[in-house]
Amino acid sequence: MGGGLSGLTAGIALAQAGKDVALVSAGQSMMHFMGGSLDLLGSDPSGNDVYKPLEAIATLNSKHPYTKIEDVSRLAGVAKQVLERVGLATTGDTTVNHWRITPIGGLMPTWLTVQGMATVADPDQMPWHSVTLVNIINFLDFPTKMIAAGLRDRGVQVDVKAVTLPELQVLRQSPTEMRSTNIAKVIERNDLIMKLADEINAQVGKGCDMVMLPSVLGIASGDKASQLLRLINVQAAYLDTLPPTLPGVRMQAMLRKHFTALGGTFITGDQVTGGVWEGDELKGVTTAKLEGDVLKAKHFVLATGSLASRGIVADYNHMYEPALGVDIDDLGLDRTTWAKLDVTEAQPYMEVGVATDAKLRCQRNGKTVANLYAAGSILSGHNSVKLLDGAGVDMLTALQVANNILNQ
Amino acid sequence: MTTQTQTQNVSVNNFEQCLKCSICTVYCPVSAVTPLYPGPKQAGPDGERYRLKSKDFFDEKALKMCLNCKRCEVACPNDVHIGDIIQAARIKYSTHRPSLRDMMLANTDLVGTMASPFAAIANPVLKLKPMKAVLHGVMGIDKHRTFPDYSSRKFESWFKKEAAPTQDQYSKHVSYFHGCYVNYNYPQLGKDFVKVMNAVGYGVHLLEKEKCCGVALIANGMPKQARRQGEVNMQSMRKAIGQGHVVLTTSSTCTFTMRDEYAHLLGIDNHDVRGSISLATRFLHQLIEKGEIKLAFSSDYHKRVAYHSACHMERMGWVSYSTRLLKMIPGIDFVMLESQCCGISGTYGFKKENYERSQAIGDSLFQSIKEAAPDCVATDCETCKWQIEMSTGVPVENPISIIAEALDVEKTVEINK
Ligand SMILES: Cc1cc2nc3c(=O)[nH]c(=O)nc-3n(C[C@H](O)[C@H](O)[C@H](O)COP(=O)(O)OP(=O)(O)OC[C@H]3O[C@@H](n4cnc5c(N)ncnc54)[C@H](O)[C@@H]3O)c2cc1C
Ligand code: SF4
Ligand code: SF4
Repeated sequence: MGGGLSGLTAGIALAQAGKDVALVSAGQSMMHFMGGSLDLLGSDPSGNDVYKPLEAIATLNSKHPYTKIEDVSRLAGVAKQVLERVGLATTGDTTVNHWRITPIGGLMPTWLTVQGMATVADPDQMPWHSVTLVNIINFLDFPTKMIAAGLRDRGVQVDVKAVTLPELQVLRQSPTEMRSTNIAKVIERNDLIMKLADEINAQVGKGCDMVMLPSVLGIASGDKASQLLRLINVQAAYLDTLPPTLPGVRMQAMLRKHFTALGGTFITGDQVTGGVWEGDELKGVTTAKLEGDVLKAKHFVLATGSLASRGIVADYNHMYEPALGVDIDDLGLDRTTWAKLDVTEAQPYMEVGVATDAKLRCQRNGKTVANLYAAGSILSGHNSVKLLDGAGVDMLTALQVANNILNQ
Repeated sequence: MTTQTQTQNVSVNNFEQCLKCSICTVYCPVSAVTPLYPGPKQAGPDGERYRLKSKDFFDEKALKMCLNCKRCEVACPNDVHIGDIIQAARIKYSTHRPSLRDMMLANTDLVGTMASPFAAIANPVLKLKPMKAVLHGVMGIDKHRTFPDYSSRKFESWFKKEAAPTQDQYSKHVSYFHGCYVNYNYPQLGKDFVKVMNAVGYGVHLLEKEKCCGVALIANGMPKQARRQGEVNMQSMRKAIGQGHVVLTTSSTCTFTMRDEYAHLLGIDNHDVRGSISLATRFLHQLIEKGEIKLAFSSDYHKRVAYHSACHMERMGWVSYSTRLLKMIPGIDFVMLESQCCGISGTYGFKKENYERSQAIGDSLFQSIKEAAPDCVATDCETCKWQIEMSTGVPVENPISIIAEALDVEKTVEINK
């Protein structure tokens, strides 16, 4: 249940092992907001950057989902392999974090980055002397001033330029649709890569040792994105844009494609509405679109996401898990304790999620459900915005759940 | 009280649930190929806020470009009925009278009735260059289009003569809504359906009165006529359901229109009928799951089949019924195509102003079909069939026809006794 990063990772691992897997997902996932980097642990609970993620993970408190992973280092390696197998080569590993450049010009520690994106090995030592930042004219999801300011703060010389092509100016007629994904479709469909490369090359001055571009290419695969980089006269790389983010959209498409190629059934645009229970065991789930039909299975994985994806829902008085009604680790009824007024503070509601035992199995009315597991951002006990551990928790818990099922 | 305020305050088509994430934009086939289209978010929930203030914000030319494919709705994480918002706005605000061409394209059954007796003349004539030039120039029907052939014998006529007399011998019964396409253009699909249903022990019956489901009327700005026809269909179906029949179809679009668009767009009360309208593949899958029927396939059947998820099939969430059914055929080498719009969208792609856009939308689907190199493409929608056959040359079949072809009828009859 849930077709985001965690649901698809679990689905792929189980289908790969020969299981018959059906995946139900209501709408698209948070991957559309995720840039080209996957985080394992970027920040410790006191807010310091993490350099060596494995060491920092060992010190996390017992509520954190990583404490339910048998071997973080090994599964992190498997996660990297899964991405590679679907066609997403990444740089990075668990020994040491590298830094990604955020769409607003900051640097953040991260674990894996899709190849072709700009990364920095050491935040105190920027690898470039003179960067040319080239935007597409009228593309608003790439705030060049902020990015340039961020880079200049770190001693890099930055030239901001912008290019366009007639086909892209036509796109601009509908200002709200001048988005990374539509730009990609226009460029790729009309074979404009060479022309775009010419325009970009014309902007690159002497002494420039790095060209940075918004991530606006490569919707179904990364081929076109790499092709453009090869055509630029100096070293070049992409930066994340504001959402919808292309590397995330691509990741979603490629994971899904791989899952169906392995024989998995992807049921899209449908929503799990309830469980069919026999004692403490889940026999099947019902959905909105399959009406009376029950999806029966031996094992179930709940990966319907956090509050943002309605995997957890809040009303005025409660927070709850709406699909199956399993127990959550909540914050009690006093709503005033759910959030902090200062938005930059760690928000308590971010840690709300479903309760699980050591094997990542869900609980219902206080009792463990033997064949229902949870994975990904629906789990309680961590704050992905503060700890920078989003994709790591998703992929590692998904792989652990797959292992727990296969070892049963 | 507070909870009530929260749970009962639901806006029409969920438009207030939109959180402006733009995910719908990523999946809209039209905004991908033309900047003139404002895109689902702008045409849908955003535009609706303005239209509610004043109808002057209604931009008919822009909204007409929407295919009503509902891919935006499938993608939306917040269940905003974007396509419904757009189509409802067209129905509510349009003051335009449909052109002769649109009326012709929309009245699939009327045109079919006229063409069928003259199929021998109509088919070759519709293929002639001068005729196409006339259609293109005068009528605005694109000259590149190949028209679906009209059959010389309507499905209904075949059924009455060849099938109806034997249907009462079965102990279980279903009603069949065949749709215009089976009736006028491709009776073979209807025959295949009868063959499969009979083999598993079900007698097939036609509805007392069947009218075109009206999907093309809705798309071409004729909601009143669509409503009238819809009411007739609902009446006939109520009768059939009263006799204990479910009403089955072999078209995802007819099914979707009668189950969902009738209530959402036309205001037809179908709540008592909706649950009994189903797609044949879904019905068969359900019976197999329940252990009520079995299918036996001939051992020498081999085919590489690529499945294309039609837009309305995807929106209904029923793709898996058809694909899992096809995968049951031992001789099938199954390929799942990446789900995307083929670009035809019923009558949309027939109009000359839409032709290029329509082909551009389908382009990557055609590419992936060529790469998969299947013996045939399977899909549950008839208009996808025209578009894909015309654009790739690969034959397209409804899953029911593939099952009929692969079925070992004798054995199936035997094991279902
Ligand atoms: C703005 C933003 C930026 C981020 N950037 C990064 C980043 O750069 N790097 C990083 O590592 N992490 C990042 N994260 C975190 C990361 O994206 C998430 O942790 C991850 O995508 C969550 O994956 P998931 O599969 O658990 O859930 P989701 O992606 O939320 O997927 C859940 C799916 O389940 C579906 N669903 C919900 N209810 C039901 C139901 N009842 N039945 C069926 N389906 C249902 C939803 O529609 C959705 O498709 C970011 C998150 C956000 C919000
Ligand atoms: S996907 Fe849904 S929530 Fe997001 S912008 Fe579109 S309509 Fe709004
Ligand atoms: S229904 Fe289809 S064409 Fe219309 S806005 Fe939605 S995705 Fe675009």
